[in-house]
Amino acid sequence: MGIKFIQIILVVLLAAGLAACPKPMLQETPSDAAESVTAEEAAKENPRVVASLQLTDQGRRLVEDGKPDNAIRVLEQAVSLHPANGQNYYYLAEAWLMKGYASQAKEFNQLAEIHLKADREWIIRVAKQADRITELEK
Amino acid sequence: MLKRFIKYTLLILVLAIAALAIYSGYLYAQVEKRFSARRWSIPSTVYSDTTLLYPGQHLDSSLFNEKLASLGYRQVRHAPSQKGEIRIGPDALDIFLNDLKTPWTRREGFPVRITLSEAAIGTIRRMDSAETIPILELEPEEIMQFFGQERERRQLVSIEQVPEHLIRAVMAAEDHRFFEHFGVDWRGILRAVVTNLRTGAIRQGGSTLTQQLAKNYFLTPARTITRKIKEVILSVIIELKYGKREILEIYLNEIYLGQKGSVAINGIGEASYFYFGKPVKHLTLSEAAIIAGLIKAPNHYSPYRDIARCNSRRDAVLQAMHRWEWITETELQTALQEPIKAVGFIVAESKAPYFIDYLTEQLNTLYRPEDLSSLGLSIYTTLDTQVQRAAEKALAEGLTRLESLNAELQREAPEDKLQGAIVVMQPKTGHILALVGGRNYSVSQFNRISQARRQPGSAFKPIVYLSSLSRFTPTSLLSNDPKTYTVNGEPWEPQNFEPVTEYTVSLKDALKKSYNLATVDLAMQTGLEHIVDTARRFHFSTPIKPYPSVALGAFEVVPIELARAYCVFAAEGVQPFPLSLKGVVDENDKILEQQHLNIERLITPAEAFVMTRMLQDVVKEGTARSLEWRGVTWPVAGKTGTTNDFRDAWFVGYTPDILALVWVGFDNGDPIKATGAAAALPIWADLMSAIPQYRSEADFNMPDGVEKIVVCSVTGQRAVAGCPGPTEVYFLAGRAPTEDCPLHDKGGFAGKIIKGVKGLIDGN
Repeated sequence: MGIKFIQIILVVLLAAGLAACPKPMLQETPSDAAESVTAEEAAKENPRVVASLQLTDQGRRLVEDGKPDNAIRVLEQAVSLHPANGQNYYYLAEAWLMKGYASQAKEFNQLAEIHLKADREWIIRVAKQADRITELEK
Repeated sequence: MLKRFIKYTLLILVLAIAALAIYSGYLYAQVEKRFSARRWSIPSTVYSDTTLLYPGQHLDSSLFNEKLASLGYRQVRHAPSQKGEIRIGPDALDIFLNDLKTPWTRREGFPVRITLSEAAIGTIRRMDSAETIPILELEPEEIMQFFGQERERRQLVSIEQVPEHLIRAVMAAEDHRFFEHFGVDWRGILRAVVTNLRTGAIRQGGSTLTQQLAKNYFLTPARTITRKIKEVILSVIIELKYGKREILEIYLNEIYLGQKGSVAINGIGEASYFYFGKPVKHLTLSEAAIIAGLIKAPNHYSPYRDIARCNSRRDAVLQAMHRWEWITETELQTALQEPIKAVGFIVAESKAPYFIDYLTEQLNTLYRPEDLSSLGLSIYTTLDTQVQRAAEKALAEGLTRLESLNAELQREAPEDKLQGAIVVMQPKTGHILALVGGRNYSVSQFNRISQARRQPGSAFKPIVYLSSLSRFTPTSLLSNDPKTYTVNGEPWEPQNFEPVTEYTVSLKDALKKSYNLATVDLAMQTGLEHIVDTARRFHFSTPIKPYPSVALGAFEVVPIELARAYCVFAAEGVQPFPLSLKGVVDENDKILEQQHLNIERLITPAEAFVMTRMLQDVVKEGTARSLEWRGVTWPVAGKTGTTNDFRDAWFVGYTPDILALVWVGFDNGDPIKATGAAAALPIWADLMSAIPQYRSEADFNMPDGVEKIVVCSVTGQRAVAGCPGPTEVYFLAGRAPTEDCPLHDKGGFAGKIIKGVKGLIDGN
């Protein structure tokens, strides 16, 4: 009973103390949604990004047409304009897969994963691609 | 007696005929061998990368205009109506694009309007259809050709591509009975003999096209009777062996038609571009007559030499064509009225010679030098000529500036002068955009980017700090106290660049301020072997020994390897292979070689990001902070480097899009009496300011695995209200400080009670 009473007193004091104690500075993490949305929106306004998306689309079509070498050329240009666009790396991985080079496909798949982690739909595609790369490695 | 005479005469005649037959057989074999083998040596051509243009792209207008001129665009006042024409307006460029042809892309030229506003592209629109173009690719620029001994330029054309009026113009000028004789025009020879007998000297040749071909291929230019006989025999052999149109095709591709600097223009294909900037099939009658008229004496009748002489020669050819009824009176009059407009040419200066040497080293592993000068390969590279020009200019001006600021750096002999080198790369792809291996290629061909071995000094420190990240954090405290180390049994006492009063310093501040003592302390705690291992993984090829001095970059590196190492920080932990060659294509557009970006992961994206943030502090507040007042206000990470006795000055800086390394020093190791920040950094700033098209001005993206914590600038613990100068610091996830700052924790009595309670509860 006595110990319980002391504990209650201590909790009351703790609550009062917490209100009075110095406040830690606001800490941020990479999952700060507001920050990433702003960055994304800003990126859409960036002319390099807009141009890069054209090339990404060209690269995708070349991959779909079964022209991996041409696709790699175009996607290299896309990467140079907008290195943060994970779709470029996804399609680069796809092109290297098509050429049968698992190690390069894996490197680009990992980059795609880094850049597309916030996009649920894409990250599933990236994971499936990783499975196909593992299959090729076998 | 008579019988005997006839008998001997017949015998001699038979022997002569037999000898002639044997000799003709020998010549026949020669003709067969020569013509069945490769007929011409075509030099291989090296091209730059293509240039991308898109709305919103910033441009340096002088560099861009230079680029267009180098691509052969000709300024006109009217709306461009032909490929290669450009009209420059105050706020728009009208360009009739040339065809784009690379192994990966093909596009016919079309007219386009590029509007400009505030040094940036506004819109790109087709002038023929008003269609808006989101991204436009300009053709690659010719950088150089691998000439053989002949130094001939030639673009082969098939006889089907040659317009009939050009064939007739050549015949009118040189051999109007070409389709009627058997290689030798007896009427022409008789006329020549009469002329020569009358003048007593060999003045007139009377050569047919076939004879000219025989002479060019098999004979010396000497004018002798025996050579003439040989020429006649060879001509008949050629006529027997080949059809008229085939002979004509060989002739039209072979004939010498002018001079571009030290390079000969051979064949109508090349001449058509050299004089009129177009393929042969588009030559007008007048232009065809000019080219045909040149055959007699190309430099004498050249429109570049004497327009009046060229004009009268053209008119003579046109009159002859009319005389032989190959053109009508109307055609004649129209062609005679046409003004002669040659397109002009620029004698190819040596572009990016150090880059070419670097490329050639790689090409020589794939092709023999004689193949490069004869197979007519097209070699596509990663070079961006605008960046190359900007780098050359920045280096030249930067070195001159240093010399003018300090007379002690001036040297009389060109080979002793202050040197510098720059390499510019795309960190994500490894593409080498520019490479300047020295101040003056004609003075020294030594490539200071790929061949030099120089100490990196503090520019190596990022590798040391990276190696330590498994045990230390950016806020770990290091000793900045002088200490004596033993190296090879000898005492070694490193010193800071200048005396400081900070005897304990955080890891990030030690890098920011490039403290030597703290860095050596860190290296010793990290383990020298571990640092050397990291350097090996980063593909430094030079010997690196695990001595304490390794922490200060007191060993030699190849500059391009240092640039490549920094790419890892800019490229989220992956290292690209430095690429200069993209592909090689043969004469028939068959791709022989392709090189793609090749990457290898060396560290995690989180490690790369933490390093980048610390290197951004170097630029914001540390040894490279002068970048800001030099106009570099966008996010940049980088590191300066200065070696012992100021022998080398470095700056390696990068954004997410581009990385450049600048080195300044003397070849003989004389001190340059300036730091990396004073000598190399201004050159880097000038270079970056000149290539706005490569600046997205975007910040580095924070990947997973990183925590951003506000820490107390004094204790390095989590900042609380009251901490002086709280600073955002990036840590690898799970490595950030967990305790609040104890020094400025002014919780007072209540806070202390809470801590006590916490301790009690924890104790329970």
